[in-house]
Amino acid sequence: MVTIVIRSKPDRIIPQFYQQKLRLSTLYPSLKLPFELTKMASTTLTCYCSSLCSTLQFLQNQNPISKPLSQPVSRFLSTPISPPILTLQNPSLSQLYAFKKDSQIDDEEGDDSESVDLPDFKRNAFARPKLSDVLPDDIEIPKPGTPEYDDILEKLLPKKSPPPPREEIFAVVMVGSRQYIVIPGRWIYTQRLKEANVNDKIVLNKVLLVGTKTSTYIGKPVVTNAAVHAVVEEQLLDDKVIVFKYKKKKNYRRTKGHRQPITRIKITGITGFEDYPASTLEAETVSS
Amino acid sequence: TSFRGAHSRLTQTIAQQKIRALVSARRDRDRQKRDFRRLWITRINTVIRKKGVYYNYSKFIHELYKRQLLLNHKILAQIAILNRNFIYMIYNENIKNEDSKE
Repeated sequence: MVTIVIRSKPDRIIPQFYQQKLRLSTLYPSLKLPFELTKMASTTLTCYCSSLCSTLQFLQNQNPISKPLSQPVSRFLSTPISPPILTLQNPSLSQLYAFKKDSQIDDEEGDDSESVDLPDFKRNAFARPKLSDVLPDDIEIPKPGTPEYDDILEKLLPKKSPPPPREEIFAVVMVGSRQYIVIPGRWIYTQRLKEANVNDKIVLNKVLLVGTKTSTYIGKPVVTNAAVHAVVEEQLLDDKVIVFKYKKKKNYRRTKGHRQPITRIKITGITGFEDYPASTLEAETVSS
Repeated sequence: TSFRGAHSRLTQTIAQQKIRALVSARRDRDRQKRDFRRLWITRINTVIRKKGVYYNYSKFIHELYKRQLLLNHKILAQIAILNRNFIYMIYNENIKNEDSKE
């Protein structure tokens, strides 16, 4: 085992691609090296950049003398890099002193010390973490296409029942001097019906038009005997409308709030139109 | 949205803009009734003109009044969009009874 000591001299900047290609078996970060360590070293590398040392990964507890080292703090080590590789092409590092005899001796000494062979932990730092990294290997996650996956989805997703079937019929009704298109099952806001209380049943007589899927009944003006049945849901006030009167340069402004009284009516059914003469699209007759 | 820039940041302009907003709201509530009637008329017009050359909104409305149909413009416009056939049925009714009335 070759022990190499790095003695860093300050402040000559080495280009970055040199920095990434350093690999050493034992490393010591300190600038001032104790004499004992230099004895153990078989080679000394002098590198001319103090920050270079911090790019190197340290294998801790390699040597019994060494104290547990704290990780070097440097911006280059923010991503875990694979063990850096030394290239001798680096001119600044060409001051290598290889002492073969010493290396033999060091091998014997090195057997006593703990040799930590760390596995090559190759992980792309920018890769997204996956579930499969964390879960044990036994578990099988169902894939999106399979029926098991669909079962899980059904349990988790909220269930919406389909809307209830509705009579396919509509009518045009006149209430409070306004006309509305009315469908059974829906509600409308009308002008306040004074004598109606909540949950009263109401019959609207002024039916101007009734339309079904098959035919229409066009009232002249009213479809006779037709009736729209409804239930009063609520007697309330409309949203407030601010009536603001203003005359410019004359110091005149008046503010007034207005809430129109209103009734909400739910339509239950439309009846009584069957006897009325229906009209269809093709009923074009040329009268003499 | 509205009240862009200084109109929502400076106190004096906020007061002025509030006044203008309320005034235009009042004015436009009246205008709303006119605007919608215009819209309905154009919509009925486009649908009715497909029933022949020299047939248009004015004739259609004239026929409606003659037949004493009470349907108003709002409803007619809605029917014209949603169930176009119903307007054609009204038109057919008018044609059917035209000669008899005359």
